[in-house]
Amino acid sequence: MIAPRRRVAVERIMGTAISVHVVGDVGADAFDHAVSACFDELRRVDGVFSPYRDDSDILRIARGELAMTDASPWVAEVARECARAEAETRGLFTAMWSGVFDPTGYVKGWSVERAARAHLAPLIESPGAVAAGINAGGDMQLFTAARSDRTWNVAIVDPGDPSRVIATVPVRDGAVATSGGAERGAHIVDPRTGVAVAGAGSATVVSASLAHADVWATAAVVAGFDDLGWISRAGRASGLIVDGCGRVRRWVDGVEISVGDGAVLDPAAR
Amino acid sequence: MKKIVYAVLATVSGLVLLFSYRTSHVEPADSLAADTSTTSSSTTGSTGAGTGGTGGTGTGSGDTGAGSAASGAASDSSASGLADGTYTGASTNTRFGPVQVQITVAGGQITDVQVPEYPSSNPRDRQINQRALPVLVSETTAAQSADIDMVSGATYTSEGYAQSLQSAIDQARA
Repeated sequence: MIAPRRRVAVERIMGTAISVHVVGDVGADAFDHAVSACFDELRRVDGVFSPYRDDSDILRIARGELAMTDASPWVAEVARECARAEAETRGLFTAMWSGVFDPTGYVKGWSVERAARAHLAPLIESPGAVAAGINAGGDMQLFTAARSDRTWNVAIVDPGDPSRVIATVPVRDGAVATSGGAERGAHIVDPRTGVAVAGAGSATVVSASLAHADVWATAAVVAGFDDLGWISRAGRASGLIVDGCGRVRRWVDGVEISVGDGAVLDPAAR
Repeated sequence: MKKIVYAVLATVSGLVLLFSYRTSHVEPADSLAADTSTTSSSTTGSTGAGTGGTGGTGTGSGDTGAGSAASGAASDSSASGLADGTYTGASTNTRFGPVQVQITVAGGQITDVQVPEYPSSNPRDRQINQRALPVLVSETTAAQSADIDMVSGATYTSEGYAQSLQSAIDQARA
C-alpha cells in the first residue's frame, strides 16, 4: 500500500518553529490557503501578545499606554482563560506572578489550538483527506478524519537529550504539550515562590485541547516530579513526567499508573 | 493521604500493572470487573507454553485493597517470558468513569499500552475516546523513529529547530 501523501509547511513565529502536516489527498491550493490563514492568525496573535515587541498590546497595557478595553478582544479573552487556569491549577499556573499581567505562558497553546480548529480542522472534511496537525515547538493539536483508521504517532523526547525519544503516544484527535526547562533554560517560574523552576525534567500532557494540555504541563513542572496531587484536577487527560535522573511517572484521568518497573523485558531479548 | 497500591496483573516474568490510587475521587473498583467488563484477545493456537493473567498480588497498604484477577490470553511464549496477547487490568472508577489499562504483547514485547474506555456501545465513540498512555521506548523494541509523525518536548527556539527531531521529520515527510 502506498503511504498517503503528506504536505508539510514550516514557519518561524512566536520565537519557535511551527510545523503543519496535512495527510491525504488535499490539493496544493487548499493546503496553501489553510496554512497561510493559520500562520497569519498566529502572527497577529504574536503582534498582540509578544513580550518582545514594543508595540504589542500587552506591553502597551503594561506601560499604561493602552486600556484593556481598547486592546484587542483577544486580550480580555486570554485574561479570563488565564484566571480560570490559575483557579483550576490552584495557583500552579498563573499569568500574574510578578503582579503584572503576562500571559506568555498561555498564549501559544491557546492560539495554536484556536488557529488549528479554525483553519486546519476543516481540511479533513474534504474527500480524500486523512489528517491534519500543527506542532508549535513541541506542543501540538492533531485531527484525524472519522472515516480514517490512521493514528498520529507522537514521540516524547528525553528532556536531557532532545534527540532521543523516551516514549510514544498514539493520538487521533487531541493535543500533546510538553513543558520543561531543558531547551530554553529555566523559564518557568514557580508562582508560589517567584523562583525559576530548576528541575531538569519535563512534563507531557495529552488531552483534547492544547490550551488545556499546555496549562497542565506547566503546572506539572511547577509541582515537580514528586507531587502528582494535581492530576485529579487535570480533567480528562493523560500524561508523563520525567525528572532529571530519567525517572518516569505516568497517569490517566486522575490515576497514576505504573506498568512494570523497567525490568519487564529481558534485556537479552532486545 | 490514602494510598492503595494494587498489582492487578502478573505473568511469569513479573509483568505488573499497578494503579496507585492517589485521590479521594477514586474508589476501588469491584474486583470482579476484570472478569465481566473487559474484552481480551481470544486464544488462538497453543495454550501450552503461555501463561495468561495470573491472580493479582494485592499489596494494598490501605484497608480495602484487593488484588483482582487479570484477564489475559496466551498464544505463544517467547524469550522474554511474556505471552503474546492482550492483557486488561481491572477497572478502576474515577470521576470520569472507569479506567482500565490494556497491554498488547507481540513477539514477547509490549507493543501498546492503551486505556480503553468503557462502556461505549458505539465503536466510533470508543475509538475517538480511547485514552492513550505514553508507551516508554524501554517497554518495546519496535523500531520507533521511522513511524514518528510529530515530536513533543520542551519548546525549542526557532534557532534550535534546525537541530530538532521535528525538523528531521518535517524534511523527511515533506
